[in-house]
Amino acid sequence: MFLPERYEFYCPVKINSGNRALDHLPFELDTLNAKKPFVITGKNSVERGLVDIIIDAFKDSGLTIGIFDGTPSSPDLKLIRELFHTYRDRGYDAIIALGGGPVTDTAKVLNIAVSGEPEDLEQCAGDGLIKKPLKPFFFIPTLSGSGYETSRYAFFEGRAYASRFLMPDIAVIDPRMTVAEDAKTTAVISLAALTHAAEAYVSTGRSPLTDSYAYPAIQFVMENLLNVIKNPQDKKGGLALANAHCLAGCAFSNIEAGIAHKLGKVIGDAGHIPHGICMGILLPHVLETQLSEDNYHISDLLLPLAGFDKYAETGADLRGERAIGILYNFQRDLFAAGGGAIARTLRDAEVPKEILQDLAKKAFGYGSGCVDMEGYLKILEQAWEGR
Amino acid sequence: MKDFREVKAGTKRFKKDYVAIMLWFVGRAIQAAAAMDEAVRKEFEELPDRFTFSLSVMPDGPHMIVGKSKRGIVYYLGWDPEGKDITLTMKIKNIEAAMLLFTFQESIAVAVARDRLIVDGEVPYACAVVRILDIVEVYLLPKIIARLAVKRYPVEHPGRKFSRRVLIYLRALLGF
Repeated sequence: MFLPERYEFYCPVKINSGNRALDHLPFELDTLNAKKPFVITGKNSVERGLVDIIIDAFKDSGLTIGIFDGTPSSPDLKLIRELFHTYRDRGYDAIIALGGGPVTDTAKVLNIAVSGEPEDLEQCAGDGLIKKPLKPFFFIPTLSGSGYETSRYAFFEGRAYASRFLMPDIAVIDPRMTVAEDAKTTAVISLAALTHAAEAYVSTGRSPLTDSYAYPAIQFVMENLLNVIKNPQDKKGGLALANAHCLAGCAFSNIEAGIAHKLGKVIGDAGHIPHGICMGILLPHVLETQLSEDNYHISDLLLPLAGFDKYAETGADLRGERAIGILYNFQRDLFAAGGGAIARTLRDAEVPKEILQDLAKKAFGYGSGCVDMEGYLKILEQAWEGR
Repeated sequence: MKDFREVKAGTKRFKKDYVAIMLWFVGRAIQAAAAMDEAVRKEFEELPDRFTFSLSVMPDGPHMIVGKSKRGIVYYLGWDPEGKDITLTMKIKNIEAAMLLFTFQESIAVAVARDRLIVDGEVPYACAVVRILDIVEVYLLPKIIARLAVKRYPVEHPGRKFSRRVLIYLRALLGF
């Protein structure tokens, strides 16, 4: 067990996971003194019958719930203003995000607005600028999203918000909600979670507590993602993946963002490829460049990736390389299982080689501890070519 | 606002009625078992006089209240907790959790372990009540179901248990 000289860890997220977990929602709301929740979701959740399951969970609670099911893929401030007035005028006192990605980002940003004033949205953009706790916020994962849902981050209209108050109070993970939609959607969020967890596990800022969140997140993705892609009805696998997404978000909130995350975000934001897939492509290449550096704990990664037996039978000096090898094989298996929809390389993903230089420049602009712009470019070129 | 609606939570009448009947029957069976079963009697002996416990479903019932008189006799005290001095309250968090319990998909010990109940009162008393419920369920259910519902199925002479089971059923139905 690695014990750093000094560390801090913060995670207020209560995870309520398992069979009929959603039926605990009224009880959990009551523990936070909330009586009238506002559910934010998208049309997709209505079509898949997930909203009906939520409504059913509230039966016998005596509560009234508001449901907005029109969150678009790119929500804007006009929508937040409308939601703000609905929330205030009808007397809601808690927010439930059903689904990830834009739904959770909308819910987080709405929570900033309703906990203060809509004008706060501009002032609060940035890191640590939200100064007081927000309204009770619940997150219900559905195996689609960005991997940031339980994290301290929200991204909205080009603004990035970072605050511990943005982490949900409670994540309710119910197997009825975590049935995979399609291979690519599941892979996007799962690979983002794997990357966040793996970068937390090997990072210089790791601690015993980030380890305890990252370790099961890595294991759940490695053990279940392929099965769920092959069999989307695999409820046990879906539940494990949703747990991984939540745990990885909590670990990620307590470390400095890693290189695979930064590069993945830059490429994702440029609109070439979903950021989760991109992070999955980049992860082994990034780890390979960090292998020789003492600050990173790449060899430790073999344990959650491969289990005790393989970890024990591998010499200490070979564990890092073996861990990276496992990740490359995982990429290949995902490519095959997804029928080519889950790219192995940036070339597969049709990212033009000419823009790699620009992407490296942008990623470098985000700042990094130990990689220069040449380093970023080298990683991108390797990820473009593939191993 | 477009794509917005407000929904008033409905009820789960059938499930609520089913759980209410089960609680009524189990409450009366506890009263009967306390008079007939040595293990249940001993558990109640260890509890203080005028000990009263309720097993309820959140947020507003149904309830089952069972108490022990000053003379040590155990009574089923009905379904209304109003005005009763309750020593131990066990609340099942929602009707679906109660259904898992009373359709015997989960034992009470498993339900406690899975955080489906909250307990207000002394933990040793709650443990005693869980053990009492375990024993009573063994009497009320066929072995094949009771095995799922209890932590450990007891070994006892089948004939003796059968006769006691019939009597507990009769007393629970007739209420004495």
